[in-house]
Amino acid sequence: MFDIAVFLSLISLGYFVGRYLEKRHYHSINTREQALIKVITTNTKRPLGTLGKVNKVELVTGNAVISVDYFKRVAAGLRKLFGGNLTTYETLVDRARREAILRLKESCQGATQIINLRIETSSISQGKSNQIGSVEVLAYATAIYADAPQAGKQATAE
Amino acid sequence: MKYQARLPEHNSNISHEHPLKEFALLLAGLAIIMAALYWALGLAVDYVVPMISPEKEQHWFKTMRIDKGASHWISQDNTISPYDSPIFESLRSCANIEVPLTLWQVDSDQPNAVALPGGDILLFSGLFDHAPSENGLAFILAHELAHFKHRDHLRSIGRGIVLMTVTGFISGDSAALASLLTPAGLATQAQYSQTLESAADALALEILNCHYGHVGGATEFFENMLKEQDSSAIAGIEQLNHYFSSHPETQARIDNIEQLRQQLGFDKGP
Amino acid sequence: MLITNTEEIPGKNITTCLGIVSGSTVRAKHAGKDIMAGFKNLVGGELTAYTELLGEARDQAMERLKDQATQIGANAIVNIRFSTSSVAAGASEIYIYGTAVIIEDAQ
Repeated sequence: MFDIAVFLSLISLGYFVGRYLEKRHYHSINTREQALIKVITTNTKRPLGTLGKVNKVELVTGNAVISVDYFKRVAAGLRKLFGGNLTTYETLVDRARREAILRLKESCQGATQIINLRIETSSISQGKSNQIGSVEVLAYATAIYADAPQAGKQATAE
Repeated sequence: MKYQARLPEHNSNISHEHPLKEFALLLAGLAIIMAALYWALGLAVDYVVPMISPEKEQHWFKTMRIDKGASHWISQDNTISPYDSPIFESLRSCANIEVPLTLWQVDSDQPNAVALPGGDILLFSGLFDHAPSENGLAFILAHELAHFKHRDHLRSIGRGIVLMTVTGFISGDSAALASLLTPAGLATQAQYSQTLESAADALALEILNCHYGHVGGATEFFENMLKEQDSSAIAGIEQLNHYFSSHPETQARIDNIEQLRQQLGFDKGP
Repeated sequence: MLITNTEEIPGKNITTCLGIVSGSTVRAKHAGKDIMAGFKNLVGGELTAYTELLGEARDQAMERLKDQATQIGANAIVNIRFSTSSVAAGASEIYIYGTAVIIEDAQ
């Protein structure tokens, strides 16, 4: 009986608090993505259009470690018995990636372009019991700070 | 070349189904699979157990028998001593059990009795407070003999192993799942035991009737239990727990024994 | 939807760049297949259940990638990259990202 009580309180704590935190995180991600939408970001090697005088080129990174809650872990454990999409982990990796890219963009405000973006995912704290603790995402790219070109073609952000 | 970033309106990288709905569906599916597995394997146990004769059982469980010297493996805190009952041998021959059985007394406040594989019957000393008369104790002994005769002790061990295997197999290394599944399984097992208890009561009445010619005192133990429950302040908690207990609720049990007595046409005794 | 892992598409001109799009999925096979794969592991060889799982996951992630690109009005995705990681034991996690663009035929 005691086991069940502990389990139920943990799972409802995980569900309600986890859901609230996730909602808040998604809200923050959406507003920040909207705010940073004008920053030119591609994963191609060459910069877009022509650049003026290049002042600085640097490697920029952003990372995020996001963890699952108790409810998601149990739900994923159940889903693994039956097969199919582990829906509770999908939001986890989605949030982690978007957060990492946002942090990368925020770390180089004022950059003209961010090019050659690469994203790496790894799961850390994967303990003995093979239960996932959290997922880490590293985003890295090259930021170019350049003056506007003198005349002619230019990469315009609309 | 223009740069014209837009954000997708709809996030297609995640599922939009309500997580609780999915969780409930999966849990229901799991419950069905588990129930089916437990049911099928339980039937297999019921099929195999009657094939094990008492002689074979005594041979197999020889190493698990309680000796005077090795009595401590069953319980660390309680001392176990041989118990001598003048009526036991006669009850045993009434039950048509040919293998020798041994009675043991365990010092414990619990009013309980257990038949172990191999031919040991444990009487917890709390019993003697609730069944002071010879007839009262005779019913308890007859009830345990009936369990032995019906091979219920083997059944419950078999089912216990099945339950552990099924939960262990399904929950794998997830401790959380195991803590959810185990009590559910125990509840199912308790329901199953209640039917066995009832059958054991019927045979116990027959044994009593064979020995005494009447079944007087059969309900003495349960009536005393009932009195204690009524006087106990935690009676409400007892009620709540009855779903998880293997013995039918006390009053229902008394009624059931009385009904069985009438069906079998035994004398109520003095 | 034209999808390539090159930066430019021969015979096409990229007129507009729409930013990064991605598709991801986390999938698992049912426990029975996991157990069979465990047995197969003793003798080695191809674990067909997992090959299938990765294929399914990749297809689904690709669908999601296309869906995201369609939503923002792209008709091609260039320079796509696949990445895979093990987020949960026995589950496959596929991530595809690329740059969404609008292309037109070169003159």
